[in-house]
Amino acid sequence: MATLSESPSVLSMRDAGVHFDGVKAVDGVSLTVSRGEVLGLIGPNGSGKTTTLNLLSGMLRPTSGAVLLDDRDLSRLSMRRRVREGVVRTYQSGRVFGRLTVFENVEVAGLGVGLRRGAARDMARTTLAQLGLEDVAHLTADSLTAGRIRTTAIARALAAQPRFLLLDEPAAGQNESEAVQLIESIRGFAREHSIGVLLVEHDMSVVMGTCDRLHVLDSGRTVIEGEPQRVRKDPQVIEIYFGKRE
Amino acid sequence: MMVLVPERARTPLILSAIAALVAVLGAVGGPTVQRVAVLALVSIVFVAGLSTFSANSGIMSFGHVAFMALGAYTAAFLTIPAPLKATLFTQLPEPLAFLRDVQSSFVVAVVVGGLVAAVLGLATAPAIARLTGLQSGIATLAILMVVYNVLSSWTSVTRGSSSMIGIPQATTLWAALGFAVAAIAVAWAYHSSRSGLQLRASREDYWSSVASGVAVGRHRATAWVLSAFLCGAAGALYACFVTSFNVSAFFLSATFGFIVMVVLGGYLSLSGAVLGAAVVSVLQEVLRRFQDGQFTGGSALPAGVADLLLAGVLLFVLIKFPLGLMGARELGLRRRRASVKQKEPVEA
Repeated sequence: MATLSESPSVLSMRDAGVHFDGVKAVDGVSLTVSRGEVLGLIGPNGSGKTTTLNLLSGMLRPTSGAVLLDDRDLSRLSMRRRVREGVVRTYQSGRVFGRLTVFENVEVAGLGVGLRRGAARDMARTTLAQLGLEDVAHLTADSLTAGRIRTTAIARALAAQPRFLLLDEPAAGQNESEAVQLIESIRGFAREHSIGVLLVEHDMSVVMGTCDRLHVLDSGRTVIEGEPQRVRKDPQVIEIYFGKRE
Repeated sequence: MMVLVPERARTPLILSAIAALVAVLGAVGGPTVQRVAVLALVSIVFVAGLSTFSANSGIMSFGHVAFMALGAYTAAFLTIPAPLKATLFTQLPEPLAFLRDVQSSFVVAVVVGGLVAAVLGLATAPAIARLTGLQSGIATLAILMVVYNVLSSWTSVTRGSSSMIGIPQATTLWAALGFAVAAIAVAWAYHSSRSGLQLRASREDYWSSVASGVAVGRHRATAWVLSAFLCGAAGALYACFVTSFNVSAFFLSATFGFIVMVVLGGYLSLSGAVLGAAVVSVLQEVLRRFQDGQFTGGSALPAGVADLLLAGVLLFVLIKFPLGLMGARELGLRRRRASVKQKEPVEA
C-alpha cells in the first residue's frame, strides 16, 4: 500500500493546449488541483471548461503542454489508465448505465478499478448510503429523476476511489440552493477522503461559497486564478463573465 | 414456488423449464415434431452463445454461424467412422492426415467442436474488441464470408459443396436438452459475472464505462470467445443430429433464421434469445407446412413464401418492439423501475 507521502498529491496542467482544425479550444492553460481542495473552473459557454476537463481526464490529448500527476507526465495515458491512477471524471447530465440498477452502476466502478466482487459491493453499499441513495439502489438508473441520476453518477465516480475528481457541471439543472447543497456534500467528501476536486460550473453564484479557489477561463485562455472573493472583484471577470450573462 | 428460489437462479431455471417443455413436446409428438424439437434445442444452444456476446455487449453479430460451421465440421471429422473417412477424404493434406484416424465419443466431439470454434474466436477477438456499431456488424459478416469461402473451396478437407456424410446420429432429444440447459447455465453465469456486468455497463454507455475504469475491449473479447465456444458446440450438436450436411447449411439463410430468433425475442436479453429460438422454431415449421400446402388443401405455394412471411414477422416486431419482446429484461428477474417518476425528497 502506498503511504500518503508516496501517493500523488497534485494534479496539474502545464501550459496545455489543444486545437481542432486550427481552432484553439484551450490555449496554454496551467492549473493545479491539490488533494483535499475544491477548485472551481468557471467561464462563459465555449470558454474551454469541458475541454480542459477532457484534457485532464484523458478523453483528449494535449497538442501542446502536459498533464502531470506530481512530476509524472500523464499526457499519453488513456482515460482508463488515468482512472486507475486515481483521476476520475463525471459527465454533464450524468450518463449513467440506464438499464442497470443504481447499485450495479456503482458496483461497476469498483470492479473497474480492480476490486474483487465482494469489496466492490461493500464499496457500493457504503457510497450509496453516504449519498442517500439506498432507497433507490434496486431501481434501474434510467427511471430516476434528473437530480438523482446526477447523484448516482457522483456515487459511481466516488466508488472508483479517486484521488482527484473531475466534475462536469454536477448540479446543472438544479436550483441554486440544491446545487449549493450538493456541492457542499461533495466538498465534505473531498475533505474527509483527501480528494482533490475540479468543479466545472458556469454559474458563478454556485461556486462562490463552495470552492477554495476559482480558475476563470475565457476563449480557451486563463483570465485569473485565485480565491473567490478576489476573483469576484476582478474587473476583467466582471466584464467578460457577468457582462456576457445579461 | 419461485419465491423459494434465490433471485439470481430464477432466470436460468425458467429458461431451462422452457427448454424442457420443448423436449417434452418433442417426446410426445410424432417424428416430425421430435425433429423440430431437437433443432429448436440446438438453436437454443446457439442463441445462448450468440447472446453471450450480443446481449451483454449490445453489438449484434452476423457472423456466429461461422463458429457453428467449424463445430459441425470438427464433429464430423471426430465421429464419421474411420473406414468411411478413408474413402471420403483421399486427398487430405499431410498435416491433417491424422484426422482420418481420430475417433471420439459424441460428448468429446461437441466439446472439441466448441474449442475449435473458440480458437477462431480467439483469432478474431482483437478486431472485435476494437470495433463498435456498424463497423463491428460488418466485421462479423466478413468473418462469416471468409469462413464460408474457405469451407466451400477447401474441397480436399471439407468436400466443398458436396455433403459430409455418415455422421452417426448421437444428438438425441434428451442429449439436446442437456446441452441446452448447460448452455443456458453458462450464458447466465457469464451475464452475472464481473466481466458480464462490466460489459453490460459498456453497452449502456461506452464512455461512462471507460471513465469507470472498465477495460471494454478485454470484456468484449472474453464474451466473444465464450460465445464462439457455445456456437461451435451447437454446430457439433447439429452435425450429430442431421448426420449429413454441406457448407450451404452455414450461410446467410441460417444467419437470417437465428437473427430472427434473437431480434424477435430481444437481442439484449438471454431470455429473449431463448424464447425467440423456441417460438421461431415452431413458427418456421408451421410456415414450412403452410408453404407445402398443408393448410391450403394440398396445393403447394411457391418456394420462399415461408421465408417471406418470416421476414414479415421480423419487420412487424422491429417496428412495434424495436428491442424485441423482452427488451433488455430477463424472465424471473424484476428490473424495478420507479413506478411513478421518483419524487425528489422535499426539503424540511
